[in-house]
Amino acid sequence: MDRRTFIKGVAGAGSLAMSGGLAMPALAQGAAKTLHFVPQANLANFDPIWGTQYVVRNASALVWDMLYGLDASGTPQRQMVESEEVSADGLTWTFKLRPGLKFHDGEKVLAKDVVASLTRWSARDPMGIMIKASQKELVAVDDTTFRWVLSKPFPKMKLALGKTNAPIAFIMPERIAQTDPFKQITEYVGSGPTKFLKGEWVPGAKAVFERFADYVPRSEAPSWLAGGKKMLVDRIEWVVMPDPATAAAALQNGEVDWWEQPLPDLVPLLKGNKNLNVDIGDPLGNVGSFRMNHIQPPFNNPKVRQAVLMALSQEDYMRAVAGDDEKLWKVLPGFFTPGTALYTEVGGEVLKSGKGNLEAAKKLLKESGYNNEPVVCVVAQDQPITKAQGDVTVDLLKKLGMNVDFVATDWGTVGARRALKTPPTQGGWSMFHTWHAGADCTNPAAYPAIRANGDKAWFGWPESPAVEAEVVSWFDAKDLAEEKAAIGRLNKAAVENVTYAPTGFFLSYTAWRKTVSGVTQGPLPFFWGVSKSA
Amino acid sequence: MLGYILRRTLSTIPVMAMVGLFVFSLLYIAPGDPAAVIAGDQASPEDIARIRANLGLDRPFLVQFGEWGWRTLHADLGTSIFTGLPVTQMIGQRIEPTLSLMVLTLIFAIVVSVPMGVVAAWKAGTWIDRGIMTFAVLGFSVPVFVIGYVLAYVFALQLDWFPVQGYTPITQGLGPWLGNLVLPALSLGCVYIALIARITRASMLEVLAQDYVRTAKAKGLGQKDVLFLHALKNAAVPIVTVIGIGIALLIGGAVVTESVFAIPGLGRLTVDAILRRDYPVIQGVVLLFSFVYVLVNLVIDILYTFLDPRIRY
Repeated sequence: MDRRTFIKGVAGAGSLAMSGGLAMPALAQGAAKTLHFVPQANLANFDPIWGTQYVVRNASALVWDMLYGLDASGTPQRQMVESEEVSADGLTWTFKLRPGLKFHDGEKVLAKDVVASLTRWSARDPMGIMIKASQKELVAVDDTTFRWVLSKPFPKMKLALGKTNAPIAFIMPERIAQTDPFKQITEYVGSGPTKFLKGEWVPGAKAVFERFADYVPRSEAPSWLAGGKKMLVDRIEWVVMPDPATAAAALQNGEVDWWEQPLPDLVPLLKGNKNLNVDIGDPLGNVGSFRMNHIQPPFNNPKVRQAVLMALSQEDYMRAVAGDDEKLWKVLPGFFTPGTALYTEVGGEVLKSGKGNLEAAKKLLKESGYNNEPVVCVVAQDQPITKAQGDVTVDLLKKLGMNVDFVATDWGTVGARRALKTPPTQGGWSMFHTWHAGADCTNPAAYPAIRANGDKAWFGWPESPAVEAEVVSWFDAKDLAEEKAAIGRLNKAAVENVTYAPTGFFLSYTAWRKTVSGVTQGPLPFFWGVSKSA
Repeated sequence: MLGYILRRTLSTIPVMAMVGLFVFSLLYIAPGDPAAVIAGDQASPEDIARIRANLGLDRPFLVQFGEWGWRTLHADLGTSIFTGLPVTQMIGQRIEPTLSLMVLTLIFAIVVSVPMGVVAAWKAGTWIDRGIMTFAVLGFSVPVFVIGYVLAYVFALQLDWFPVQGYTPITQGLGPWLGNLVLPALSLGCVYIALIARITRASMLEVLAQDYVRTAKAKGLGQKDVLFLHALKNAAVPIVTVIGIGIALLIGGAVVTESVFAIPGLGRLTVDAILRRDYPVIQGVVLLFSFVYVLVNLVIDILYTFLDPRIRY
């Protein structure tokens, strides 16, 4: 019996016990206005621009507000902005802030704070960098108005300012936003619906957020990052639990109220508990991936990359990552998130069966001239998703007849090693595994993994003028039809180039006690509108 | 004696310096990059390089080590790369839960294991001895996390006597503090009980074969007095030694126990820091652990003189 099986068994036994109706401990009954939440990871830092991990973004959305916010339909809606005006040539954007905006230190939110915040954000965010590249002027006109003047139109401005992808353009006081974007802020004065209690922060264990009484929510109904962010609990405590069995037991015992991302193995047991609700957390899910190094042998040869893509069975990958619950995964013949406006399967025929074609792939590999060069496959063992994918890949490459050098390591090492451009035999790499949040893969704007601009591209440094041309076409598209056409061509070009290898689309669950209501699906946990009964 | 204590205390300085150099060198040559972890998955290599430069991680080894050493000499362990908080503050936040867990485990283990070992030696070869030694082997063989899960299942989920996880500071009441620590201390204590019980038994068996024990029995002393007043005192040196050595075992076990019971202690801080390559935190915690270990062994050495008057320093 391995550890995973053991903890599943123990948690399962716990589930049975709890469904028998044991009394909840006093902790959950006595503090109805405090919501105890188990986040997906430890909140190790708290600067949404400096550190772009999802957990930091999720916590930051509680503390800082934004100019626009994406709603559940994927449309950016006004949030801190009352109105905006675009000049006829599309080069000048003038924004007006809505009244009543305050920082947590009691100061008013002014246009100069917004200018400083956008300046810091645009130094780090891929869309921000694009805007900055054509920026002529970003200035505060008066206390509530600011203007952004560009040298070429940027039609996706509202999307850039309201997107869910990290880094988000959160609004901070000017003195904090003037911090170098590559240095961490040390003061956490927010503009959002809750205050971060720095004094109670124990990194690795606990983070506490308290309702900000002076926050003025919008009048519209809440929808993702848009609408009225009304807090119905006084306090939210994030309790970090590295052990999934402990988190499962704590949720069953009523010691915590909401677990963001239960281990798939434990979900059937949680579903069997009459005190709990379990549902898909983020309908946009995740895209599994492995990246090949396009500038080093053997994957500098497009035919070798295509052979690997042809052989891969997404079904194998998804079963390894998400288990046998087929509601949790699907074959993905492309690079964009299923169920979103720009989803396409154009050019993805090679992946459509989900089972791969090993014999054809072997033939293609032979044609490619592959000469038994070593494939250094770097796999982080401390991340269940990368480990599962890595195990499948090694098997796949061996079946293909490739010379695999499997390097089992941790994510910290993968993060450093993948930046090296040296040959695999000299400390470099041939392939590594990762995954992308589906929310990041809805369009090319904040999706660096899809770019193929060579030296400037994401790790692996793919180069494909066809891919890049279609990225530009999407940015320049005037309507949804044009956008869809561009994305179809982009998908086809990326499959041909094997910009990266998509291993499938998978979802994850979230679980909460029935005493909690208002939990909604989305790319991050939204706490506004969430209440808790005694 | 005072001179000895002073000499031993001073001798910790070179030991700590060696530990510091060793840890620093190990972290420097180990693969991994905190800047890459901070920057996130979407960051470009240029972003990572700028963060690395801002953190000062691109400077030569000797410069970094020199700066760290100088700061450490001034009782400044630096600032966490990730949280931006002083390492001393982070250790301060975490030291109470770990110290509480270790002290409670130690008390529990000694209270249980020493009588177990004494009884096993007294009843050597009987079913009582075999039962105790079977328990000791089990305690040694079953991983701490397994014991932890079983205890949590029985006493937290089934019986609802204790919470599953967390820690309540002692300032918020002895009851809640104990409530959170009972199960972790029991889990962690099992391996320690096994170790001490085995050593106590072996040591007692040797002492019980001595002439003076026979004399004590011949004088008509009760069994309890013979075992606990005469024999145990003379068998105590190896027992105390193993308790000291076991502190290292306890520190290692605390890492797992704190994870299983979600206790915000130094063990979890260490693991988190290692996974993220938070160098200042790793260095601070390892220095603290090594200092505690050296100190405990000093205390053990001093205890010898009380347990065995023949020992002089």
